[in-house]
Amino acid sequence: MEVLNQFGINPILLAAQVVNFLILLWLLNKFLYKPIIRVLEERKQKVAEANKNAEEIEKKLLQITALKEEEILKAVKEGEKIIKEASDEALQIIENGRRQYEEIIKNARKDAKELLQVEKANLDREIRENLGEMIALALQKVTGKVLSKKDQQNILEKEIRNLS
Amino acid sequence: MEHAIVLKPEILGFYKNFPVTNTLLVSWIAMAVLIITSVIATRRVKMIPSLLQNFFEMIIDFGYTTVSDLAGSKKAKVFFPICMTFFLFILTANWLGLLPGFGTIKYNGAPLLRSINSDLNMTLSLALVSATLTHFFAIKYLGLAGYLKRWFSLQLFPVFLFVGFLEIISEITKVVSLSFRLFGNIFAGEVVLTTVSSIMAFVIPLPFYFLEIIVGFVQAAVFMMLTLVFMVLLSEKHGVQH
Repeated sequence: MEVLNQFGINPILLAAQVVNFLILLWLLNKFLYKPIIRVLEERKQKVAEANKNAEEIEKKLLQITALKEEEILKAVKEGEKIIKEASDEALQIIENGRRQYEEIIKNARKDAKELLQVEKANLDREIRENLGEMIALALQKVTGKVLSKKDQQNILEKEIRNLS
Repeated sequence: MEHAIVLKPEILGFYKNFPVTNTLLVSWIAMAVLIITSVIATRRVKMIPSLLQNFFEMIIDFGYTTVSDLAGSKKAKVFFPICMTFFLFILTANWLGLLPGFGTIKYNGAPLLRSINSDLNMTLSLALVSATLTHFFAIKYLGLAGYLKRWFSLQLFPVFLFVGFLEIISEITKVVSLSFRLFGNIFAGEVVLTTVSSIMAFVIPLPFYFLEIIVGFVQAAVFMMLTLVFMVLLSEKHGVQH
């Protein structure tokens, strides 16, 4: 044990240092390791959770994108259908309009014709009514003689006979 | 300037019958430094760490990963605080010993401060703690029968008895090697620094100080790793019997 004495080994000092170390172990465990390890674990958990969430969000985003595209496609199809229907309808309306217009025109023509005939007939009658007088007036001018009522009648009848 | 190379720590005074040596004093200082910084670092533990918390998180995360790689996550919870405390305490002690004032401030003719691990009392007590805890965990994890089986083979074949005897010797050697390795390195470093400083006190000691910084770190890491490995080895079930 001479060696130990030379190195100054002292059981009391050994014990003191052992106690020192155990106190340090206890305090560091309480104040350093436990809180830090806890916070490390917490952070690890949080990161894992965040990763999971991010993955889920990405998955959802993909789903939504797919859904959106599908919806857009559907909407485009529907739009096309609506446009087609509308244009068909418009054509129909135009066709109907044309038909109606033609009918109206046709009717108008017919009416106009009828009216014209009536007018013409009226005119004929009027002319016929006035003709005798006009002829009498003309004869009077030509013959210089005022025709009596009787003469007038005779001439008129003769003329009419000639005419017809 | 004469520097006597003294193996024994100098006794500064007595508290009742208790001798207070300069190494014991520095040991208390080192403890205080560690405890105060750790309390400051974890006073308000935040999810987004501040500077000091971040620093300790880095060290502890590294240490914890190392321990759980070697020991498995279940035993790591038990082994980690011990190994980490060895590391932090020895590192702080070694680096504290490099500060100016160590060995130069005198008190009653003896240096007031002396690097902790240049005293065999300190390293031997650390080694004893390490060995005791190692064997304690071996008994805890293997049971008393499993623990004793390692040393005393039930087969009364002379070779196995001899192997058991060698194992016991190797356990004693572990304590001796742990304590003397740390003591030798730090004591030699102190001697080198004192000698070089007494030859030329300016600039020349700088490379040696740098070397001592590295040695201080390496010795702390070695002590921690060896303790960890011994703990893992002893608390594991013995392999197939030969």
